[in-house]
Amino acid sequence: MENIATQEGLIERISWLIKLRWLAIPGVIFVVFLTTQVFKLSLPLQPLLLVSLILCVYNLIFLFFARKLRKQYSAKNFLLANRIANLQISLDLAFLTTLIHFSGGIENPFIFYFIFHIIIASILLSRRASYLQATFAVGLFVFTVAGEYFGVLPHYCLKGFTTYSQHNNILYILGVSFVFISTLYIAAYMATSISTRLREREEKLRQANALLNEKDRIKSEYVLRVSHDIKEHLSSIQSCLEPVTGGITGTLNPGQSDLLSRADERTHKLMTFVRALLEITRLKLSQKMEMGYFSLRKTVESAVKFVEARAKNKGIPVYLEIEPGIDTIWGAEVYIEETIANLLANAVKYTPYAGKIELSLQDKDDAVLIRISDTGIGIPPEDTERVFDEFYRSSNAKEVERSGTGLGLSIAKQVVRMHKGNIWVESALNKGSTFNILLPKGGKKQ
Amino acid sequence: MARILIVDDDPDMVESMRVVLESRDYSVTSAKSGQEGLKIAKLEKPDLIILDVMMETMDKGFDVARELKKDKNCKDTPILMLTAIKDKIGLDFKNEAGDEAWLPVDDYVEKPLKPEELVAKVDLLLKGR
Repeated sequence: MENIATQEGLIERISWLIKLRWLAIPGVIFVVFLTTQVFKLSLPLQPLLLVSLILCVYNLIFLFFARKLRKQYSAKNFLLANRIANLQISLDLAFLTTLIHFSGGIENPFIFYFIFHIIIASILLSRRASYLQATFAVGLFVFTVAGEYFGVLPHYCLKGFTTYSQHNNILYILGVSFVFISTLYIAAYMATSISTRLREREEKLRQANALLNEKDRIKSEYVLRVSHDIKEHLSSIQSCLEPVTGGITGTLNPGQSDLLSRADERTHKLMTFVRALLEITRLKLSQKMEMGYFSLRKTVESAVKFVEARAKNKGIPVYLEIEPGIDTIWGAEVYIEETIANLLANAVKYTPYAGKIELSLQDKDDAVLIRISDTGIGIPPEDTERVFDEFYRSSNAKEVERSGTGLGLSIAKQVVRMHKGNIWVESALNKGSTFNILLPKGGKKQ
Repeated sequence: MARILIVDDDPDMVESMRVVLESRDYSVTSAKSGQEGLKIAKLEKPDLIILDVMMETMDKGFDVARELKKDKNCKDTPILMLTAIKDKIGLDFKNEAGDEAWLPVDDYVEKPLKPEELVAKVDLLLKGR
């Protein structure tokens, strides 16, 4: 697991490096243009532009690799990402050296841009690799400067920028080299110590987070066990009450019948609550659901049937509108049906007599937007975020129905989340609410 | 008068079913573990067995049912399974593969029990004999 986390970070930073390079290339061209056209310095244009072009091509190649790595996290790929990061920085150093060689060598003040590469290396790579990169940079620098000094490499003089050619001035070379080399190593030292500390802190945070998740899981398991036990007892209580209230054990007098019915009713409510609690806890504990292809159209139609009678009793018509082309999706049919049925049941519950409910399904390419609108009591603005929280019920909902689990919407949210979808509500107090579910069609791609 | 064996480790469940079934003139015996249930079933050859899924283990009832279907005296005895299927315990009751040994029961009834439903299912299973 920890490899995957750092790999994600590494690839993110590789991508960031690629983005920086897209900025650097026009930067190089701009500076070359500025020095040759505005400041009238003579620079060999062809090699400089050629190097920029090669830089473009090589950036495209890394872009391709980064995309590929992003798709699959594994230990092998992590190693590969690490190598790519190393290679990228080494290549960048080589390119910078080439650019500087063609634009004055030691006379070019841009040689101090090496420091950026060393800082980046310290952020991305291990301490050892960072020092190796710094040493590589120093090697490249010494090779170029010595090459130009001994005449092995041609020197492109920055005439007009320096009064006379500096590539032969041994004192200048030694001075600049000393400052340059010490700067690189000091930068590597500082950046690696900071990034090591940051990495340690990150690791500690990750551990703390893992511990919290583990505690949360233990808590959920505890809730699961307790509610399961409660449910067993409730089940027996209900099974014992039913024959009595149903008159199987003989007729009851009105007083007995009334009290027993009340007890029976409360047991039912408690059972509903415990079932909801079990369901949300199980959903939280399980990482994935049994999924398959199913007809969303049929599922929605059967969810509508589930509330039809109740809606009719309150004189509320339920309009169903499904855009053509919406049918099969990939998901957990039972849960999707339950979620839609629950939202519809809520709509019926919180809509006064003679209101109306609209359920629409809109095709959004790789997702379906399910909208359930009612003309009900609405949700106070301060509650619209919280209604999806466990056990939370908005104040006006409590007025309509005193008892309710406060779990229906959090179950819905959990189900939608496990489908990588999104659920939200738009509401106006006393006018109505619209619950939206953006449900990915899923399938092949996943 | 048909004889029914109830196998359930919860005495209160057993009692509530006994009351309902005896009101319909069925004769009821009970066992409070899978092992005891198997013994009594083989010995008394009841006309119908009501079996709880969750007893000593999560799916002890299935083991007992499989065992019963293997026994030459009991293999034709209808089994009514008591479940809490609504809780999505992860047991798939749809036998899509058509594997008969997989779900060796004739019908199942939901906990908590509704007396009418229990009686209706029992009546139906016994009529089929």
